[in-house]
Amino acid sequence: MFFHIVLERNMQLHPRHFGPHLRDKLVAKLMRDVEGTCSGRHGFVVAITGVEDIGKGLIREGTGFVTFPVKYQCVVFRPFKGEILEAVVTMVNKMGFFAEAGPVQIFVSNHLIPDDMEFQSGDMPNYTTSDGSVKIQRDSEVRLKIIGTRVDATEIFCIGTIKDDFLGVINDPGAAA
Amino acid sequence: MSLVADTPPNSSSSDDFASLLAVELDSISSEASPEIEVEDDYELGPDSLEVTSPDVEDDHDYENRDLPLEGCRLSLVETVSIGVTGWSRHRVKRRKVEELEVMEKTNGKHVEYVDKFRLKCSVLLLLLLALSFVLLVLYFAELHFDLQLCAEASTSNKCLHPVVIKDICVVCGEKMEEASGVALGYIHKDLRLSKDELYRVRNLDKKNSLRNKKLYLVLDLDHTLLNSTRFKDMTEDEAYLKTGADTLKGRICSFDQQYVLTNMMPCGRLIIKGEIREAGRQTTNAVVSRVINKVQNLDLDEGSLFRLDYMQMFTKLRPFVHTFLKEANKMFEMYIYTMGEPLYAAEMARLLDPSGVYFSSRVISQVDCTQKHQKGLDVVLGQDSAVLILDDTENVWQRHRENLILMERYHYFASSCQQYGFNCKSLSELKSDERELDGALATILHVLKQVYSMYFDTELGDTIGDRDVRKILKSIRKEVLKGCKIIFSRVFPNKFPPQSHPLWKMAEQLGATCATEVDEPVTHVVAMDTGTEKSKWAVKQKKFLVHPGWLEATNYFWERQPEENFRVSQLKNQESSSAPHS
Repeated sequence: MFFHIVLERNMQLHPRHFGPHLRDKLVAKLMRDVEGTCSGRHGFVVAITGVEDIGKGLIREGTGFVTFPVKYQCVVFRPFKGEILEAVVTMVNKMGFFAEAGPVQIFVSNHLIPDDMEFQSGDMPNYTTSDGSVKIQRDSEVRLKIIGTRVDATEIFCIGTIKDDFLGVINDPGAAA
Repeated sequence: MSLVADTPPNSSSSDDFASLLAVELDSISSEASPEIEVEDDYELGPDSLEVTSPDVEDDHDYENRDLPLEGCRLSLVETVSIGVTGWSRHRVKRRKVEELEVMEKTNGKHVEYVDKFRLKCSVLLLLLLALSFVLLVLYFAELHFDLQLCAEASTSNKCLHPVVIKDICVVCGEKMEEASGVALGYIHKDLRLSKDELYRVRNLDKKNSLRNKKLYLVLDLDHTLLNSTRFKDMTEDEAYLKTGADTLKGRICSFDQQYVLTNMMPCGRLIIKGEIREAGRQTTNAVVSRVINKVQNLDLDEGSLFRLDYMQMFTKLRPFVHTFLKEANKMFEMYIYTMGEPLYAAEMARLLDPSGVYFSSRVISQVDCTQKHQKGLDVVLGQDSAVLILDDTENVWQRHRENLILMERYHYFASSCQQYGFNCKSLSELKSDERELDGALATILHVLKQVYSMYFDTELGDTIGDRDVRKILKSIRKEVLKGCKIIFSRVFPNKFPPQSHPLWKMAEQLGATCATEVDEPVTHVVAMDTGTEKSKWAVKQKKFLVHPGWLEATNYFWERQPEENFRVSQLKNQESSSAPHS
């Protein structure tokens, strides 16, 4: 799920950036530092949408660096149990398949793939229905439901299922080609 | 436990018992021996016991120990100890009493006392026994109840957590406290399968095997598919590889600065140059034509010598390996299984299979082994009866010898020759290589094809589930030396039972019959030198007289080798010319 929230961060800026563009430099650095990171509490920071407030800078003794407390709005992404997500399949093997929804890695076990889909090994391993109409292989897009998450400091890992109504392949690159 | 509290004799019995004893004894002793000082009168309580005699003091200790008995639940051990202490106390008392009895034989009144005392003691003892029995029953009843609870818990919770990844069960999403089961680190670093699930997955495609028409092939890396050496282990004679590769590196780096290519550069042309030079020296027409053929066939992108700068390593792929993998991929689902580091394994897999078609994620390295210094098929997701193994080391496959096709070791670099104790020039130093078309990989590919076609032979009916590559392998092996009768001469050490010697076993596995005495049907005499009686006999009878190397070569190549190449008299020459190939 995506959230638009306000976060705060202390930014350290080198004195050489002081000048008329100080604010721009600070924002640019903020984007570089924060976007794409993951925190266990808020999830992945997808994008910074605006800077609310930049506090008074404090010169650090000894280094000359200045610390600014910055409040910024950003979009964060955090998967939850029970959430429906769309993901791209990255690897298919006998145990199930791995998929990615942006930065989140999701594993769908073969227990939670519909029973009529069977694993086919080969150059392009895949799960296929007996009539061959539906195929899950690398780069397929699937809609899945999250049934478990594991949130680490820098990474979120999920377990998903496609064994439910309206879940499964939504766009099959093999069929389109 | 309420029952303990409910049992009336228990809580008070020991006290009663003790005080009763005290009263009895005191009365006896005071009457019997007036010299003994008695501090208190016949009051109840522990104090009265203290001074009467050392025996009774012991009693006091027992009583203290028995105190936890009151009100709280008794364990089985305690129950028994009570019985024992009660009994021993009884015994002590009785002995004391008996002594007194002897002393006071004349006193008839006293005898009456003693009788009464005995009766009381036995009643109490019985009560104690009964109590301990009740507690025992209770204990087991509770144990049973606990077990029932456990069973209920396991049936009510339907998910058995068959697969766990990163400590989450993949079926129910529940967090797991502790990791269990077999780790399949090569698929995902935190993936674990329970034993049952592993069994299920391995059986899953048994029924599909006819449709998929694929068996499993487990390949070793070092000395089987390739040979690597570190820069620092290279000899002077190999230095040409470094300089040659460097010039090529410049060309390729300019082509693609970025990523892998800086680390892996095909240097195929270099080797060919070397061979042509060597060929020129040999001036054999056949060799020249072979090398020229190779030049034409060789695609530079599929070079076989790689320099991995960041690993400080040179890697030489075995000749024919590309064709081998391409062909084997049609018949097998291939795994790499190496005792090397994961990083090395991944890098070698990339050299062998740049597009990831052959192995994808099936690269098993040292960290995935379930047993130290042993390779096992338990991490391979295929049934044992459908797995073939290619490896140069037999010992690591203790549990799966029957699946193993032993490979002749590929030594290209000098360091690897030294490692195995060959004191000869390596292929790299000789600027030579294994032959491509009849080298080890080509021969083994032939065997693999044979096994594959026998496994899926439709004429054998549809009972494919019963087929077993191990049996097929055995039967193919049996054909190799069929009809040969072999005797050995001065090959085994004295007093060594010949039937258990590896060469003897090898010969039998290859379908030959072995004997210890010469007779007419003998076809081959395997000997170390020509001087022995059997050797002379062989020469006289025009039987084949061969060096043990003949048997080993036959075993590696799955084909009866031409005996002329392994004449015993040629021993010296043989060693020098064939050792680098073996």
